[in-house]
Amino acid sequence: MKIGGILGVTVILVLIFLYQWPKLNKNGRKVKITFFLLMLLNWVLAVLLVIFPEMPGPGQLIDFIYKSFETFW
Amino acid sequence: MIEKGRISYLELALIMYATVVATAILYIPYVTSQHAKRDLWLSPIWGSLSGFLIVMIIVKLSKLYPGKTLIEYGELILGRTLGKIISFIYLFFLLHDTAIAFREYGEFIESAFLHKTPIIFVTGSIALSCAIAVHGGIETIGRCATIFLPIVLALYILIYVFLIPDLNVKNIFPIMQDGIMPSIKGSIAPHAWLSQFSLMSFLIPFLTNQQKVMKWGMFSVIASVLTMVFINLGNLLLFGGIISNLYFPVFEAARFISVGSFFEHIESMVIAFWVLGGFVQLSSFFYMLTLGTSQWLTLPSYKQFVLPIGFLIIIFSVWSIPSFEEMIQGMGTTMPFYFLTVQLLIPVLLLGVAVIRRKRSNSFLP
Repeated sequence: MKIGGILGVTVILVLIFLYQWPKLNKNGRKVKITFFLLMLLNWVLAVLLVIFPEMPGPGQLIDFIYKSFETFW
Repeated sequence: MIEKGRISYLELALIMYATVVATAILYIPYVTSQHAKRDLWLSPIWGSLSGFLIVMIIVKLSKLYPGKTLIEYGELILGRTLGKIISFIYLFFLLHDTAIAFREYGEFIESAFLHKTPIIFVTGSIALSCAIAVHGGIETIGRCATIFLPIVLALYILIYVFLIPDLNVKNIFPIMQDGIMPSIKGSIAPHAWLSQFSLMSFLIPFLTNQQKVMKWGMFSVIASVLTMVFINLGNLLLFGGIISNLYFPVFEAARFISVGSFFEHIESMVIAFWVLGGFVQLSSFFYMLTLGTSQWLTLPSYKQFVLPIGFLIIIFSVWSIPSFEEMIQGMGTTMPFYFLTVQLLIPVLLLGVAVIRRKRSNSFLP
């Protein structure tokens, strides 16, 4: 199941990459680097989420910061 | 400038209306009624205060820095480093907000129609179709809004027109039984939704003509507030006291329609049309996020990043919200404070610093 999830995520990202890569060559280096970093971030996050679905996320951070406001309300 | 398309005032007002109202009508009746009970129709009126305030601030800022979005003038106002940090907080919030909007859409479709489909397919497929609209640019989204929203608006009204025989006006009484406080407490969710008018700063630079933007922004706020009041009131008149137990009262109301016992099961039509409004909402969020990200990184184009950012949104929509119950609970407790601190405090801070800088530079010059 986990292998399948990782494979599926990788396939989708590779497809996006193959679709966009020819169009990127026209633009500058900065666009290419940003695109590559964004794809890497996507892949790392997606694989982490497939392996650890209960990983604490930004929602918990927001809850932690704003928990104290609740008591006023 | 990255974006070459231009929109009209009407398109601006309609895009902002869709951005606020599409999910608001689904979730606001439940969240508001937890505090406000029978006064839930008063809450959006209190919530309109933050909508008006934010529109005024954003329009002031865009007059001071014409042709720039919040991400760009944040850097001009606060300097490079601090400006980048503040813009990053705003962008991260926008990513989170977009993810929440996609999740809200997915949860609604799932609980109404596709009970057994994994939610990631529902959100992923709408993200793909939104990506096409975003790739087309702001003009595409504006045209979609002008075509789709009249249909959606007619639908909101028609649901309750068909239900007129079942509406019981006595359900509205007693008005303000426990004083004014419950309705103000319940207004926290409308405040959060209407604070999303700060996203207008991404659209104002693309107007063909910018003199009357204040008037049209206010018009959009008033239209959203009236829609929320109308929907809340319609649900209250139909369901009475049990409204605080229904997750999606609008959907339940559509299910209730039965005209002459042959005109039934309207809810499938309702969802099909509601998705049009949801599409405009999600693609405008998606567009603003993509545009903001490429402006933050000062890139020459945004179109290459539509698909990767769409993927990131889907990851966040799974990651940041563990379950439907926690999302609904968060909407009534922590989420509104988060929305208000980012969307109200950051523009207020920027406006304050900008005005002070203008004053000082004027007094130094001869």
